[in-house]
Amino acid sequence: MTRITPDRVVGIGALVLAVIAPFIVSSYWVGALLTQMLFLGIVAASLIFLSAYGGMISLAQVAVYGIAGFVVGNATTNGNTKGLNLGWNPWWGVIAGIAIAVGVGLLFGALASRSVGIYFLMITLTYSVIANLTFGQVTDVSGFGGISGIPAPGAIGRVEAHQNRLYYVALVAAFLVYLLLRYVARTPFGLTLQGVRDDPIRMASLGYNVNLHRTIAFGFASFVASIGGVLFVWWNGHIDPASIDLGATIDVLVIAVIGGLYRLEGAWVGALFFVIVNNYSQQISFIGPRFHTLIGAIFLLIVLVSPGGLVGLWERALELASGTHKEPSDRTPIEVGPVESHV
Amino acid sequence: MTDVSKAEIAEPILRLRGIGRRFGGLHAVRDVDLDVAHGERRAILGPNGAGKTTLFNVISGDVGPSSGTIDFLGEDVSVLPPRARAKLGMGRTYQKSRSFLGMTVEDNLYLAVLGTRSGHFRPISLRKRDGEMRDRARELADAVGLGGRFGELVGSLSHGEQRQLEVGMARASNPHLMMLDEPASGLSRGERVALTELLLSLDPAITLILIEHDMDVALRVADRVTMMHDGRVIVEGTPDEIRANQTVHDLYLGRGNHSDV
Ligand SMILES: Nc1ncnc2c1ncn2[C@@H]1O[C@H](COP(=O)(O)OP(=O)(O)O)[C@@H](O)[C@H]1O
Ligand SMILES: [Mg+2]
Repeated sequence: MTRITPDRVVGIGALVLAVIAPFIVSSYWVGALLTQMLFLGIVAASLIFLSAYGGMISLAQVAVYGIAGFVVGNATTNGNTKGLNLGWNPWWGVIAGIAIAVGVGLLFGALASRSVGIYFLMITLTYSVIANLTFGQVTDVSGFGGISGIPAPGAIGRVEAHQNRLYYVALVAAFLVYLLLRYVARTPFGLTLQGVRDDPIRMASLGYNVNLHRTIAFGFASFVASIGGVLFVWWNGHIDPASIDLGATIDVLVIAVIGGLYRLEGAWVGALFFVIVNNYSQQISFIGPRFHTLIGAIFLLIVLVSPGGLVGLWERALELASGTHKEPSDRTPIEVGPVESHV
Repeated sequence: MTDVSKAEIAEPILRLRGIGRRFGGLHAVRDVDLDVAHGERRAILGPNGAGKTTLFNVISGDVGPSSGTIDFLGEDVSVLPPRARAKLGMGRTYQKSRSFLGMTVEDNLYLAVLGTRSGHFRPISLRKRDGEMRDRARELADAVGLGGRFGELVGSLSHGEQRQLEVGMARASNPHLMMLDEPASGLSRGERVALTELLLSLDPAITLILIEHDMDVALRVADRVTMMHDGRVIVEGTPDEIRANQTVHDLYLGRGNHSDV
């Protein structure tokens, strides 16, 4: 069980670096880049989980993350011109935010669960557009200006003053999410999900409720995405409809694809790459305003060179280094077309 | 069969009445009546395109019938989804293997065992319950001759081993009715003999319906044979009656390499 593999060495090395990062990099890096990397990675991990284990590429993860964020904002603030201004304790806000996001996620999942491939993608894109427009137009809960002054719980304190605290909270959350997703993949729920991904018709004749399973998987991924949403509003202190617009939706897809859609690790690899490129390209005056052109070009390059993203490149490098050619991969390529018509 | 009550003997386990299935203008299956008794071994023969697989799909619920009714264990299951029919005790295989190539033999059989039990959504592993299901998976693997490949990915198995696995998966739920769609297709001579032995060794209480092109396999295993052609049942009888039947010879046995049966 405790064999030393290159994957493990790199994984543990990355974890150690993440733990000591506040002592070796500037507080700007920790507060602005690494914390953001962690919660974007959590959202991307929810997408990768659905795609790698469930065969569902969802564009609704940012919508769900936004729902959690808006609920936290409405529940825990006071004195905004728009929104509910409930002024609850931040922890109650967390519970409400996650619960409502999961509830909406289950509803989204139920409606999309009959569709596969490009149709599933389009339906989840619709969710993301609906969420964006709803928060823009319903001023009772947000309006275009959004919700400001969202507080983190007292133990975390004011984020500007204690950047490391939120960073460590996000690090623990990301690590737990990673362990949880890996664990769940080997449970009856996770194995069944992989069966549903590979052959829904076979699973149905073995006695499984394929659509319900997809729905619950979607709800579970919503739970994960909503954790990212809570961290986001604590980090940002503010959320508005632009936080979950089409651009944000595509950013998370780009993160997942650049990192690698087949492995959970890809979520944080992609997120780190994304925030660094985003940050440094802003400092180059020629590229700054053209960040999305740059990241789009990188996206294209990576899709062409390595469908498994950066993590896939790493795997290939390992293969070359050890001179072995891998056994047939245990990851089924993701089907984008309809798998088979359900009669 | 001695402990089966009279009522059960009188009542077939599967009763089809007027089953038809159209695909657009094509009548893949038309007006099929079929009674299969408890514990019976039924072979379904017929040339390619006769509608045999479609008939299986209608029985298992993978496709709905355009007309007719399906009674299973005395209950009308015509509108039940496949998963409900599996839970009532139907197990099946497919003509083209539908095991999970990216998973191990163990996980394939585990999923087949779990399918008709509760706990599909359980997000934690339980040593006792999962251990019991994995023990059952191991037994099944041994029973179909895959004990030595338990931890292998199914994609790395030979075609013949994949067919054996399919039989194991169909048995996993201890079904009352097992339907095998051309289990011997693509097997070598030796593998077909092994498969025939495997089918003959099945618990006699299990009812078996077998679609099979290979007469050696079909006529050895079956105690009744149904012959289909153009979506209809054209002959039904014992293997001896089928061997002697002129229509069968014209349609099927008379052609090619099976004429020596
Ligand atoms: N899903 C489907 N859609 C359209 N036509 C089908 C479908 N399934 C089967 N058919 C047609 O129905 C006929 C019977 O097919 P099938 O039941 O597979 O025959 P068999 O198993 O006896 O070879 C064939 O002409 C086949 O092309
Ligand atoms: Mg067929």
